[in-house]
Amino acid sequence: MEYIVETNRLTKRFGKELAVNGLDIKIPKGEIYGFLGPNGAGKTTTIRMLLGLMHPTSGTVKVFGKDLAKERIEILKQIGSLVENPSYYPHLTAYENLETIRKIYGAPMERINDVLTIVGLSDVAKKKVKGFSLGMKQRLGIAASLLNNPQLLILDEPTNGLDPSGIIEIRNLLKQLAAEYGITILISSHLLSEIDQIATSVGVISKGNLIFQDSIESMRLYSMRKILLKVNNSERAWHLLISRGVKADYEKEIISLSNMSDDDIAEVVRLLVENGYSIYRVEEEKRSLEDTFLQMTSEASGI
Amino acid sequence: MIGKLLQVEFMKLKRKGIWFLVFLGPFGVVSLQMVNYGVRKEWFLHQGTYNWDYYVLNVSAITPFALILGIVILTSFMASIENETNTWKQMLALPITRWSVYLSKYTTLLFLLIIASSLLAIFSLLFGIYLDFQNDIPYVDIIRYSFYPLFAALPVLGLQLWISTVIQNQGLPITVGVIGVILAYMAYFIPDWLIWKWPSLDNQWNEPLLNVYWGLAVGIGIYFVGMIDFIRRDVK
Repeated sequence: MEYIVETNRLTKRFGKELAVNGLDIKIPKGEIYGFLGPNGAGKTTTIRMLLGLMHPTSGTVKVFGKDLAKERIEILKQIGSLVENPSYYPHLTAYENLETIRKIYGAPMERINDVLTIVGLSDVAKKKVKGFSLGMKQRLGIAASLLNNPQLLILDEPTNGLDPSGIIEIRNLLKQLAAEYGITILISSHLLSEIDQIATSVGVISKGNLIFQDSIESMRLYSMRKILLKVNNSERAWHLLISRGVKADYEKEIISLSNMSDDDIAEVVRLLVENGYSIYRVEEEKRSLEDTFLQMTSEASGI
Repeated sequence: MIGKLLQVEFMKLKRKGIWFLVFLGPFGVVSLQMVNYGVRKEWFLHQGTYNWDYYVLNVSAITPFALILGIVILTSFMASIENETNTWKQMLALPITRWSVYLSKYTTLLFLLIIASSLLAIFSLLFGIYLDFQNDIPYVDIIRYSFYPLFAALPVLGLQLWISTVIQNQGLPITVGVIGVILAYMAYFIPDWLIWKWPSLDNQWNEPLLNVYWGLAVGIGIYFVGMIDFIRRDVK
């Protein structure tokens, strides 16, 4: 598989504190990769290393298959980024702010108006950024990240400070960019709900460790509802189910079935009844993605 | 690349009033002489020192102090443009080398200081002509006393740029700057090896060019130390 971003044992240490510990991030081409983690987990530090703003203590970063340590300039030509709080020159207008960046990329002049239109700031192009709301500054930052028609967009908490309609707009914009131009996007957030609605794959970081990395579907499966069965002689009942090819778990006298359709569950119940087991309870345990995320991060911090 | 970066640097100076500062420095130096000559003209005449040479010396007595003050203000000004909303992280994630970013900052500052020094030469000349001295105009001396201090002050420029770009909190560069301004003011009393003395062009051998050579050599040295440190640092 072709990976746009691939890190190998990426580690960053600040003094004694291990901010990022042996990360192996893999982002396939065309994916929207949700980089999730609580505040202070190491997301921003990782992103800074991906952009060459910070030097890793150990480990390597490969972007577009090239080594970042050796071909930083070539790589950065095709990356658009927005790191943490928006950066801007308050005394310059929105247009002038973009012009300072456009010049360096050597992108055509029209591109400024294009990106201003994309993020909906055309009306205020000639206004000083000093007077912008946080949401507008954030949009300006996103506009700046699009100036060079990037192949890879790296956005650190891009919906910070946006109102709900702004969040939806940005989300749609990112989906569109990924779908129409095949841009690979890395988007970090501490809110799972945000990632859930946009990402196609997910990496979860906690205390500097990558504790989960897979497609969003796998994460959803992970958090699928579970059916709990309480029966007499439960251990034998569990063995019966296993022998019949039913995927079931057993813990503390309770048989749990995950990821099953209603028909499958009816089949399991019938099987148990026909074999003479008494079914005391059939319960459903629902876990939201949010619970999964919290459980993942708390498990990781328990270690 | 450097050309583009310089254009960008000058764009960022828009509406910042920096050109006014560049004008104010040399104007301030010469206007002090306006006061001096306005009040003491009779005394100079009486002493027999009402001439171009003595006038140029009078102007150059204030220059080092004003120059160091200007360097401190301009460098922390340039750094504050990036520090204000931490645009370092945005700029350094662009496809440019860090050394070219540092070099473009340095070049911009040097350019502004050269403008200021040129203005100083022009203002000194104009006011001198107005004073109507009897001897010939010492063009070479005017130019020399306007530009030698700048070259001799390059180590201070390098030092101030270095600390104000790598340290987010501008308290330290300003403190170092203020101490530098005070030292430059007391140039006559401090040892020759202190870089803040050099713009005064004073040394125990009475050879102003020595200060210029030291300034260039040490200035380039400090520039490289600062640039290498800037390249190696993590961007917060």
